[in-house]
Amino acid sequence: MACHKDYEYKLHQYLDGDMTETERDELYQHLDTCEECAIHYKELKKSVMFVQSASHIEAPFEFTEGVLKNLPAKKKTKWWKKWMRQHPVFTAASIFTVLMAASLFFSWMEQSDEVLTVAGSQNVEIDHETGTVIVPEGKTVEGDLYVRNGHVEVKGEVTGDLTVINGEQYLASAGRVAGEIEEVDQALEWIWYHTKRIANDVFSLEQEDE
Amino acid sequence: MDAVVKRLIKEIKKDGDEKAFAELVDLYKDKVFQIAYRMTGNHYEAQDMAQESFLRAYANIDRYDENRKFSTWLFRITTNLCIDRLRKRKPDYSLDEEIKGTDGLTGYAQIAATDQLPEDQVVTLEMQEWVQKAIVSLPPKYRSAIILRYIEDLNIQQISNILDLPENTVKTHIHRGREALRKRLKDA
Ligand SMILES: [Zn+2]
Repeated sequence: MACHKDYEYKLHQYLDGDMTETERDELYQHLDTCEECAIHYKELKKSVMFVQSASHIEAPFEFTEGVLKNLPAKKKTKWWKKWMRQHPVFTAASIFTVLMAASLFFSWMEQSDEVLTVAGSQNVEIDHETGTVIVPEGKTVEGDLYVRNGHVEVKGEVTGDLTVINGEQYLASAGRVAGEIEEVDQALEWIWYHTKRIANDVFSLEQEDE
Repeated sequence: MDAVVKRLIKEIKKDGDEKAFAELVDLYKDKVFQIAYRMTGNHYEAQDMAQESFLRAYANIDRYDENRKFSTWLFRITTNLCIDRLRKRKPDYSLDEEIKGTDGLTGYAQIAATDQLPEDQVVTLEMQEWVQKAIVSLPPKYRSAIILRYIEDLNIQQISNILDLPENTVKTHIHRGREALRKRLKDA
């Protein structure tokens, strides 16, 4: 035990390197003459060395993998998806602007020439005279049916969505469309329809990811 | 390394980049685990605390001020979590229980099972156990200061930032910690 509290304090100051040269010289002189303080100093020095000798420990095997597995799921969303979810309208608009401006415009131009187009199942009949696509009674269109520049008459069944561009749809009393029915007949709506579709695709993609 | 850390943090802040985060964990996992192990005194709690430290860092990365050292911020999370854990321990939690969990100590235990240890390594192992017991016998606030000072080799200013305490308080904690260790060593 140091001969005096003051000296104990000074020993710690010395260990922390908090001493002027004069203070240090004075302490050295004291340690030469005071055995109590000299022993106290040695013991402190030894304690410090013991702690410093503690071997350095490494994190356990596969530590990083363990941390990653426990990350919150929502953070896994890519930033652009998160951003789009927060700004759906703006996103739809900007995607349209960037990606679709040119191609949509041209596809609209192409489509205006009254060529009847059908996308969907083969289970339909086309009446070219009246420009009508018919889903016959007892027949089923698996998935979406998509008709441009023509009318649609559903007597049978459509399991997906029905979309009619520049035309009208007629649903017979026996006919059935499981999904949504949409009629689009103006350029603007056509564009809006497409943008919305892109947005829906993006968002369903996102949901799949999560 | 600072430039690498800055880049990784930028990527994590931007979009929660998990790959960047994994790199960051790899860089700091040993130090964080070491602090947690010396603070809690056992392998299981240390793993728990170290993992939780990184998860909190990830969740709160937006709050990290890039003008400050990342390790300071991260180690603060770790020491706070450990001190909290120590506080929540039951009052009858004994030192013996802490020591029981020291199986993960430096991996010597595994070596001991397969090979015959030379005499000097047995001595080393005993000394390592003694050191760990001495550290966990310190009151938590002295313990954290001593660990950061002598095991992580940080200076007083860095420790003051990590523990969010004035430098003089840190010094006092280190003084008292050293005195406690000295007495323990003397009695041994
Ligand atoms: Zn003296």
